[in-house]
Amino acid sequence: MRAADLVERVPLVTAGTDAVTAARVLAEHRLTGLVVADDDGVPVAVLGGPDVLRLVVPEYVLTNPALAHVYDEEGSEEVVARLRERTLDDLLRSRPHAARPLPSVAPDDTLIEIASLMCEEQATIVIVRERHGGAFLGVVTLSRLAAALLTTLGEGTDAVQARLDVDVLPHDAAGPVAGDPDAGTADAAP
Amino acid sequence: MTTQAWAAVVVFTVAYVLIATERVPRVAAALGGAAAMVLIGATDGEHAFFDTETGVDWNVVFLLLGMMIIVGVLRQTGLFEYLAVWCAKRARGRPFAVMTMLVLLTAVASAALDNVTTVLLVAPVTLLVCERLGVAPIPFLLAEAMASNIGGTATLIGDPPNIIIASRADLSFTDFLVNLAPVVVALMAVFVALTWFLFGRSMRYDAERARRVMALEEREAISDPRLLRRSLVVLGAVLVGFTLHSTFHLEPSVVALLGAGAAVLVSRLSADSYLDDVEWETLVFFMGLFVMVGALVNLGVVERLASAATEAVGDRYLLASTGLLFGSAVISGIVDNIPYVATVAPLVGDLVSASDGSAQARSLWWALALGADLGGNATAVGASANVVITGIAARNGHPISFWQFTKYGSIVAAVTVTLSWPYLWLRYFVLGG
Repeated sequence: MRAADLVERVPLVTAGTDAVTAARVLAEHRLTGLVVADDDGVPVAVLGGPDVLRLVVPEYVLTNPALAHVYDEEGSEEVVARLRERTLDDLLRSRPHAARPLPSVAPDDTLIEIASLMCEEQATIVIVRERHGGAFLGVVTLSRLAAALLTTLGEGTDAVQARLDVDVLPHDAAGPVAGDPDAGTADAAP
Repeated sequence: MTTQAWAAVVVFTVAYVLIATERVPRVAAALGGAAAMVLIGATDGEHAFFDTETGVDWNVVFLLLGMMIIVGVLRQTGLFEYLAVWCAKRARGRPFAVMTMLVLLTAVASAALDNVTTVLLVAPVTLLVCERLGVAPIPFLLAEAMASNIGGTATLIGDPPNIIIASRADLSFTDFLVNLAPVVVALMAVFVALTWFLFGRSMRYDAERARRVMALEEREAISDPRLLRRSLVVLGAVLVGFTLHSTFHLEPSVVALLGAGAAVLVSRLSADSYLDDVEWETLVFFMGLFVMVGALVNLGVVERLASAATEAVGDRYLLASTGLLFGSAVISGIVDNIPYVATVAPLVGDLVSASDGSAQARSLWWALALGADLGGNATAVGASANVVITGIAARNGHPISFWQFTKYGSIVAAVTVTLSWPYLWLRYFVLGG
């Protein structure tokens, strides 16, 4: 199996996407990261799930993790309410390193090439694009790669096969990400 | 002076300007300056590495390293978070009382550890408490930066300039406690009163907000009570060791390294966790700085300046102390007080050596420490603790401008330095030390 066999569509977000929408995309599609695209729908960054969580955790708690323990339940919920005030742009601007260089594979890359890149970049989503900066084809997610590895080992089950057969987004899905102020950005890979 | 000596002065001046203006990273400026000194033949490996007068003062470097490792272990315990929240709750969520408690905690911790680490640990909790209180955190952060510089003045390990002075002047931990702690206690009382006029008057108590502070659970911050107990025993032993180091003929750096070793052993933490807190950049900066200043000593430039100063001062030590106190305060407000003290300390050392060894002559060291430490409060770049605080504030969305810091810092520096003068005069010139 090669990357072209595993490529699938995931919702795209933009720098202007608010944190509530970003959280909804993660939750509804059971994703472990987000693909940030520009206004033309071309991916510009991949954010890991923990990077996105930085939108809800105050900087001073990130600096001193022991502080996370001193909140009571009410205080914790007040901190969570911060999500409403943040956008992905806050994250990209305050922590440029959170947006890793685009981890990309080519359609003919093998499973071990994809796995190696995910290990190296600590990424759970990698971009699939034609060689030499060519067209963006979609992404490979960690769960689909795991399904492919199991199938190669002859350990596939119905659930594993279903993960290979069904994309995160239905193939005919279209339209902007819910709540995204930038209605011009497509929600899925072409 | 020889051509080589003039070349060394030029190298030193250029490096110093680069450090002061931050045109290049300070480590690059210090190492570049040190390399240039080697290239012009102003120093060599023998002088740079094996002679504390003309090269790296390893006592300073290893004292800092040891304390950084001890703090690296201590911070894993959540002690500072516990103490800061405890302080806020003891103040019953009243904003000025909270500020006062945090300021006192910062001052005491700065004296027992070092002021840079202290603000690094106290500032994040302060931001949390201020958010709960619904008050602007900047006044709190400013007050803590200044309290750390005042509190750190009290001990040998409290402020990096003191470590340099102690090593150059061969002064003990107890010398610092006996000579500086009394005036620091008085200055802290004045400082707390000042913070009322600068910040406290406009603060308002909000019962609902105070309730949110009282709901914080400080005990939860301590994740490993056993590690806390062991770390506190080590820290206590280190502080006792500092107090008795001259009795046992141990350098403070050796005490700190023994403490660091003990802390690492009892904590059983991975090297990554406590070495993360070692500011390698600061240590390398110190090394470069010492090589540069050492080259000037090596070529006799400092000796020449010192003999001119000795001739000018004669036995008028009150005048010299006054000049050193206020001059150091002004210069430390403009440039980081660490390079300033590293440069001036050998000069003061020569001046004191040439004297009769009286308390009046030795007061020059205390004038230098008080001027450099307290003067560092004047601007955002005057002391490392200020740079750390403004950095934390900016990362958390509360930028403190240079002038905003200066507006308050210059008042605090002026008041505390001015009040230090009667102390020096009374203690060393009227009462005779």
